[in-house]
Amino acid sequence: MLRDITLGQYYQADSVIHRLDPRTKLIMTFVYLISLFIFTDPYVYAAGLLFLVIALAMSRVPIKFMIKGLKPVWLIILLTSLMNIMFTDGEPLFQLWRFKVTAEGLQRAGFMAGRLILLVFGSNLMTLTTTPTRLTNALEALMKPLKFIHFPVHEIAMMMSIALRFIPLLVDETDKIMKAQLARGADFESGNLLKRTKAMVPVLVPLFISAFRRANDLAMAMEARCYHGGEGRTQMKPLKYKGRDYITFLLLVIYLALVVFLGHFLPGILG
Amino acid sequence: MRNEDKKTIEDSRIPLLVADHLVYEYETGSANTVRALDDVSFTIYPGEFIGLIGHTGSGKSTLAETLNALLTPKSGSIYFKGEDVFTKGYDRKKLRSHVGLVFQYPEHQLFEETVFKDVCYGPKNIGMSRKQAELTAYETIKKVGLPDECFYHSPFDLSGGQRRRVAIAGVLAMKPELLVLDEPTAGLDPKGREEILDMIAGLKNEDNMSIVLVSHSMEDVARYADRIMVMDKGKKLFDDVPSEVFAHADELEKIGLAAPAVVSVMHRLKEAGIPVDDRMALTTDEAVSEIMKAFGV
Amino acid sequence: MSLIDIDKLTFEYIRRDEEGGVEGITTAVDDVSLKVHAGEFIAILGANGSGKSTLAKHINAMLLPTEGQVTVEGMDTTDEGLQLKIRKTAGMVFQNPDNQIIGQVVEEDVGFGPENLGVPTEKIIERVKKSLKAVGMYEYRKKDPGRLSGGQKQRVSIASVIAMHPKCIVFDEPTAMLDPGGRKEVIETAKQLNKEGITIILITHYMEEVTEADKVFVMSKGKVAMTGTPREVFSRVPELKELRLTVPEVTDLAWKLKEAGLDIPDGILTEDELVRSIKKEYSIRKN
Repeated sequence: MLRDITLGQYYQADSVIHRLDPRTKLIMTFVYLISLFIFTDPYVYAAGLLFLVIALAMSRVPIKFMIKGLKPVWLIILLTSLMNIMFTDGEPLFQLWRFKVTAEGLQRAGFMAGRLILLVFGSNLMTLTTTPTRLTNALEALMKPLKFIHFPVHEIAMMMSIALRFIPLLVDETDKIMKAQLARGADFESGNLLKRTKAMVPVLVPLFISAFRRANDLAMAMEARCYHGGEGRTQMKPLKYKGRDYITFLLLVIYLALVVFLGHFLPGILG
Repeated sequence: MRNEDKKTIEDSRIPLLVADHLVYEYETGSANTVRALDDVSFTIYPGEFIGLIGHTGSGKSTLAETLNALLTPKSGSIYFKGEDVFTKGYDRKKLRSHVGLVFQYPEHQLFEETVFKDVCYGPKNIGMSRKQAELTAYETIKKVGLPDECFYHSPFDLSGGQRRRVAIAGVLAMKPELLVLDEPTAGLDPKGREEILDMIAGLKNEDNMSIVLVSHSMEDVARYADRIMVMDKGKKLFDDVPSEVFAHADELEKIGLAAPAVVSVMHRLKEAGIPVDDRMALTTDEAVSEIMKAFGV
Repeated sequence: MSLIDIDKLTFEYIRRDEEGGVEGITTAVDDVSLKVHAGEFIAILGANGSGKSTLAKHINAMLLPTEGQVTVEGMDTTDEGLQLKIRKTAGMVFQNPDNQIIGQVVEEDVGFGPENLGVPTEKIIERVKKSLKAVGMYEYRKKDPGRLSGGQKQRVSIASVIAMHPKCIVFDEPTAMLDPGGRKEVIETAKQLNKEGITIILITHYMEEVTEADKVFVMSKGKVAMTGTPREVFSRVPELKELRLTVPEVTDLAWKLKEAGLDIPDGILTEDELVRSIKKEYSIRKN
């Protein structure tokens, strides 16, 4: 179950999307997410979906990986959909226990679910096609102006990249520790919330200790390889915008214009 | 001969655990599935010391986790004392006290403030009363050879070898009839390795416990096991007494394993015409007496 | 001049109880002196807790002496201004393959050291390529390190050190967490690098790995208990056993045969040597 978290995992392939400058992808994802938040029009979602499908096809990431990424959030999607179905006023279609189910409710639930799925897919596509190192490089580059107000940009970027590198390791570790305690008769599944929380202590304590041990080892390994902060550091893969990035930006502008048209002007024209 | 006519006796004993055509598959990151266990069957009898050998990825760790039903096979089953452990309603928690599993680097799973409390965790989980659990914990900590002053120490203050003993005690305290250990000596120094293995051999001899020792050290397995199972790519390749398994030196080498150096030396001596019986010697001591016999001393 | 000069090194650390009060002082390294010359392959053996890893961490200024002095190419490790240069000269490969890989992609990890040293971009790419080729991991340059085997991960770690162009690499129990196949990969790589001129200091408790070393130091309780060539050290079987170490099985068998009265030379290291000397002894006795 824990292994299903794909967020922050990289899928290796050689595609245009993979080769795009991470800053481009970061900005693109950001704009994409915002567009989904601002507008609640079905046409915008259709455009969003189209955009995503094209990007996904170009990225050569198997759709299986995208769907896998939904696993940790499907409960949230289900809950929000249910809430929308049950608490939206309007023309009642039928009665479900105490709640009236309305056409508006179903529609809103559908929108909500669609939006969430697009959100998750969009951000997953970015993390699946960008190595965390490149992603943090991009963040560092985009946040560079903040250095003037003494914001520790490099340090934060480094922290993020290390966190991302260690997430899969710690997930594996959790799995292993849980199994080991199960072998000692632990029971994580029965009892009330309090009992279950207490049952997690034998997993959490070793997990924390292991995380500290790893952090310690890693700090040593970094020091041994002459790490001394961002000062005087060069980059193996410095970020450089190329032709494909400019084309992407152009496409992004077109997408934005389309979305604004669909979401803002079209409803007006249609009356 | 070592165990030559043991087989006929074996068949009349009551099996402790039967693994019946186990198949286990898992998915790797990309699209392909890997068969970690490919039609594996065997029987474990009470009091046996089995060495389970294979290199990383051979399926030996998967097999270990299937024996106490932590993993459910795709097909095939495990019968513990005649009962199918994968049927609905079978008490797997209870099974885990009968089939103890010690993971690799078990000391990484310690969590209590004191050694004593940590060892009590398993017994309490399987429903022993507090008094009973504490009594068992006390006996077990003694049994694994830890000094009295350790009892109320934090397990994190002990040396690596001692911590590992505490962790093994944590499983032993559930009084298993079959103990499965996944590379229990990894990372220890030579003396530490020997001490842990001697302790495990003692469990077999004194308590008639069945042992499955998962290892990639042929030397360790040769010294302690009555029987060796060799795994490769999910399949059981050999399952026999050590001397018979080591006779397949070429096949072992092909899958990246080597017979112990002693066995290889004896084999070469025999080929050179020195009258030694190369199947008689698995350890250095046995080799010395066999060579000295050939010299007529 | 020797490359590494450890002079009367003592390292003590203070043990504290849970409240932070001083419980006692442990001397992890106790008055150790040794010299390593450029191009040598040195092995440091010792049981767990013998102080060998603590000693190793002094060589690249990860730890600083309580007493005594450690110099690398004449640079004193206590001189803070020289620490980066020292770490670049004496690289280090650690025990746990998972906890020393920083990059998410093999080549990014190898580039980490040169980036820290401020090497220009094109030169980094060149170095990464050469280093990965040196350890035979070039085809894996785009892979996720998490999906490699233990031995492969360690080879990536070695490449990451080579990319800093060190004169010497300290291997701190690089094989303790590997299976026999992985152990072989790492040791073969270390030997190969030594042939190409890099000084190797290998810390281990696997005797089989040090049979080809130029010199072996055996540590016990923070002190150097034995020094010599592998053959010299391995001929002292009872002493080694007393230090919680064992000798390779072949050496052990040879020693036991000698004890039993056969005329077998001391410090046998390989199967070939042993078989040859038994055969010789047999033909002498039978004729």
